[in-house]
Amino acid sequence: MSESLLQADKVCFQYSKKAGDVLKSIDINMDAGKKTALMGCNGAGKSTLFSVLNALYKPREGTVRFKGEPLKYKHKEILRMRTDVAILFQNPNDMMFRPYVYQDVAFGPENLKLPKEEVEQRVNEALFQVGMEAYAKSPIMKLSYGQRKRITLAGVLALRPKAIILDEPTAGLDPQMAYEVMEITEQLHSSGVTVIMSSHDTDLTYAWADELRVLNDGKCMYAGDPESFYSNYQDVQTAGLLLPTVYRMNQTLAHLGICDVEPYPKTQSQLSLKMVDRKDRDFGVLHVVRTDRDTDLNAVLEENDLNGIPRGIYGISARFAQRHSELSVDFPYNAPESCTMKCLSGSDAVLICDPLMYEKAVSSANFINGYGYGKMRIDVI
Amino acid sequence: MKTAAIFELQDVSFAHNVNMPTVLENFNLKIEEGSRTAILGANGAGKTTMFYTLTGVNKPQQGQVLYKGEPVEYTKEGLKYLRADAAVVLQNPDEQVFCSLVEEDVAFGPLNLDLPRDDVERRVRKALRDVRMTEYARRPIQQLSGGQRKRVAIAGALAMEPKVMIMDEPTAGLDPQASMEVMELAEKLHLQGVTVMISTHDVDLVYKWADISSVLCNKKVEFSGNIDEFYSDLERVHRCGQLSPALYNMNMDVSWMNGLDPAPFPHNRCEFIAKFGKNRASGRLICVPACEEDACQKYDDVTKDLPGVSVGVYGSDSRFALRGKDVEFKFDAMDECYTCAASGQDSILIYDSIYEETIKGQAEKLKGFGMDVDMEVVR
Repeated sequence: MSESLLQADKVCFQYSKKAGDVLKSIDINMDAGKKTALMGCNGAGKSTLFSVLNALYKPREGTVRFKGEPLKYKHKEILRMRTDVAILFQNPNDMMFRPYVYQDVAFGPENLKLPKEEVEQRVNEALFQVGMEAYAKSPIMKLSYGQRKRITLAGVLALRPKAIILDEPTAGLDPQMAYEVMEITEQLHSSGVTVIMSSHDTDLTYAWADELRVLNDGKCMYAGDPESFYSNYQDVQTAGLLLPTVYRMNQTLAHLGICDVEPYPKTQSQLSLKMVDRKDRDFGVLHVVRTDRDTDLNAVLEENDLNGIPRGIYGISARFAQRHSELSVDFPYNAPESCTMKCLSGSDAVLICDPLMYEKAVSSANFINGYGYGKMRIDVI
Repeated sequence: MKTAAIFELQDVSFAHNVNMPTVLENFNLKIEEGSRTAILGANGAGKTTMFYTLTGVNKPQQGQVLYKGEPVEYTKEGLKYLRADAAVVLQNPDEQVFCSLVEEDVAFGPLNLDLPRDDVERRVRKALRDVRMTEYARRPIQQLSGGQRKRVAIAGALAMEPKVMIMDEPTAGLDPQASMEVMELAEKLHLQGVTVMISTHDVDLVYKWADISSVLCNKKVEFSGNIDEFYSDLERVHRCGQLSPALYNMNMDVSWMNGLDPAPFPHNRCEFIAKFGKNRASGRLICVPACEEDACQKYDDVTKDLPGVSVGVYGSDSRFALRGKDVEFKFDAMDECYTCAASGQDSILIYDSIYEETIKGQAEKLKGFGMDVDMEVVR
């Protein structure tokens, strides 16, 4: 059994008497160390729940627990919790405090009373992670919505929290940025951070989450693994949701006898693979380069004779190494999936990844090999 | 048939002020009258600025904007004429809602058109129903969630009964069912002859819907046309901050692995299943055009003869009428029911009669994927 990080016991909350309770005696638990997706229709109470869990609002009734201990809403205790659990609100304009990018991102770490060099190092790293280094000196007023969204994410990353709550982190972001954000959440998770995320993107969360929580009308209507929820279509509709594309297609294909229902594919490449006629198809080789921040990638590629093969980049140490090696890449976003698809089409691919992210990087290739859909050779460097 | 351009941007350059970099530069784009146009592009590519330029909020420093072949006049009358025809739904609803109560806000636009009071009321009622916000009519907007505010903003634009509907990220922040409803509304407007433009980051959603897609990149129009052509150049796709839709990718993969031609390109699930499902015998599709008044009666009649067959509903009137009935596919039902047909299962599709052309058009398209749907229209 995993340890509970945040928990609500019979919590009621309302903004005004007239509008009534938004959270209606809700019981919900968020486990430590997991990737949890929170879903539900507009107005189900997702953002309100996050604010209550973060002690921004005090419940009218019921108890919020942090690591099992009931919150008493004492100043010091709340500060301690917020040092551990950072929250990113949906609308970036609610989270910007200072006129310039650098200052704004530095706000949190400065409040933690960290030494100046440490603050500087954290801010620079966070801006690099969200791809906004070049804007450090820009006035926030001049940034677009998507850019502001990334700056607020950087502000949260700079706090180096133990857990992070993200309210619709990808809404309003273009597809590449959305994958960038998802990569950041994987990176956090692989270094032990608990990640809780609300989203309306069923496809994105299906590929991502270990655990699913579904809110409906101020209550928690489901807690558990994603598949068990989606197998009940009635509940899915009641919750204001739709089935993830990959899940739905897999169902139809299984019905037609093209493949078995299980194993459940989580990504496009996994589903595509279940539709292959010949199981003896030769796939390309997936060369996985595990790299730390200071590796000279050009030398590694040269040594292993990997130049000229399409390559993708995944994880923060890989991105640092790419930058100082001045290496161009073909798949800067969603690289594990793009590289796997490349291999499926018979060509080789190079996936340069952070060692912490290795498991995630090869998960689709393992799916292929593990279930006998063919043989994709993984060459680890 | 060559259609006329309702909007045209000719060599437009625009900067927010003289000291700032240009956001649009030598920008050329034609929007065809009656089309379903998707506007794609990375954050910061200029999509929103372009929309403001179309509606005369931004006056270009160079080049010109034509509406129905005539240059836009930046006078009070000229802009009033333009904005009575072209309605915009902004990305952030908070920039668009003015009044404190929901119904007041939706009435704001039509009242400015100097319409009679009962006409305004009718429009407001209908618009609120179309976005499923009727019961919130007397609520303060302050108390609504982000997604609900967005729906109020859409209702405000619908109440204008525009000739051109411009929607900037209409589904961002909406739950999946509400997103489907917005796409249904967009389709309805299209069938009513309205030109619809949607900018979005949800490439999967517009891949199903658009006739024409324009991709903005680096202050210009990088591509305009059939989007499958754009996705074939991966380097260009990445440069424009885009990713190809799931269906496009899976079609390419599975076609390659099974030695098939990638064309024709499936743009929704039923086409994909028709292409790869290896099922040649269509299930029966019972199509039932309906309106709010007769949907329940028709539901009872048709389900009595066909017990146990899955029912789908498409369109806000039928959905509203059948809210208490046992309906399997409440959303995205056209694709669901045709997917049933393509996989050999029977289903019943009850839809607002205005969608007849769309429903029949899908059957035509499926023929291109080797599936002749066994459909019957019950009136």
